[in-house]
Amino acid sequence: MYEAVHAHPDGDATAARHAATAARYGYEGVVVRTRDALDPVGGDADGGGSGTGGDAVDDRSSEAAALREEYGVDVVDAVEIDADSATSASGAVGNYRTERTVVCVVGGDDGLNRFAVEEPRVDVLVRPMDGSGDFNHVLAKAARDNGVHVEFDLGPLFRATGGKRVRALADLRKLREIVTYYDAPHVVSANPRSHLGLRAPREVVAAAEAVGFDAEWVEEGLRAWGEIAARNRERRSEAFIEPGVRLGRYEEDG
Amino acid sequence: MKHLPKHLRPRWRYLAVGIETWPEADLGRRAFQRALWYAAGNLLGDAGSADADLTLLAFSHDGGEGEAIVRARHGHVDDARAVIGCVSEVDGDPVGIRVRGISGTVRACEERYMGRAGGSSTQRDVAFEGAERSAVVRGDARDVRTESGYVGAAAFDTE
Repeated sequence: MYEAVHAHPDGDATAARHAATAARYGYEGVVVRTRDALDPVGGDADGGGSGTGGDAVDDRSSEAAALREEYGVDVVDAVEIDADSATSASGAVGNYRTERTVVCVVGGDDGLNRFAVEEPRVDVLVRPMDGSGDFNHVLAKAARDNGVHVEFDLGPLFRATGGKRVRALADLRKLREIVTYYDAPHVVSANPRSHLGLRAPREVVAAAEAVGFDAEWVEEGLRAWGEIAARNRERRSEAFIEPGVRLGRYEEDG
Repeated sequence: MKHLPKHLRPRWRYLAVGIETWPEADLGRRAFQRALWYAAGNLLGDAGSADADLTLLAFSHDGGEGEAIVRARHGHVDDARAVIGCVSEVDGDPVGIRVRGISGTVRACEERYMGRAGGSSTQRDVAFEGAERSAVVRGDARDVRTESGYVGAAAFDTE
């Protein structure tokens, strides 16, 4: 299972501290949402494409690889695009798609939510219900058809209190009913801003279960981050031509 | 009062809880118990928190790290785990919290899960983001003091 974290300078803990804590808590990996926290995969000094066999796992940022080596958890370089309008978000998606493994678009606005779910190059629409944002059946169908994952932000469940928490939970329920009905892909995250905000997978599942989520479904949402990363890494590898077609060697028959 | 016959006594589970804070935070036992009850009240309501009956049996905290034993009623362990996960701050200090394990007796809980403090913490200057800054070092963890409060870093960042 993976957790998607906000690392320093966006949060209060560095990517390394998040990785160390996540390893202790039993996560398989962390997705670092903050653009400045890790150096990107694309435009790397040593990005010379190693090997002809097509090592999908080799294609990742050097800092993330060093962190993986150090703490034994996967570290995924991601970016959160927080734009004012769909047009500027569209430009940013084009820019970051080639250099980041996971591309997220911050929702919270009807126009942006609509843009994100209709753009196959976007991996995850994060925090769709924040602010004035809303979600409906049209967006759910588009998300399903374009393979855009919808994020369930459990941050308010863990950290908010009172009316704010009640509203956030009501929004989560609405989102859950729509997304499960249309079977749109989903991810779950507690949106931790420091290592203190991180919760172990069992605690996340237990807390989500207490507010009406299905345990299995939440675990699926935590695993989905890893699946997105694995899929995109394969697509970025040199051996990949298009879905179903990859560069390989001739079979040697003896 | 005469104590209950064995089959009528409530059955308990004991949750070993690991706590992490910034180095300057000073958590008290009472404050932590209060935070636990508030979290239970907010998440489960009065009825649910009476059922789970979360009571703090042991608590220690020092230098940014602590541990506790929380008693919960048998059969409400999942609720207890959810509540513990929802304790995000105690007296305004953010806390990282995790259930290390669950036992049927206090003694097993202590023997198996307690007393694993990550070593004593020391104050030291470290190189972080191109500047020398003072930091509290505990094992691999480095809590670096910056202008805008602490930043959680690891040995990886400061070498």
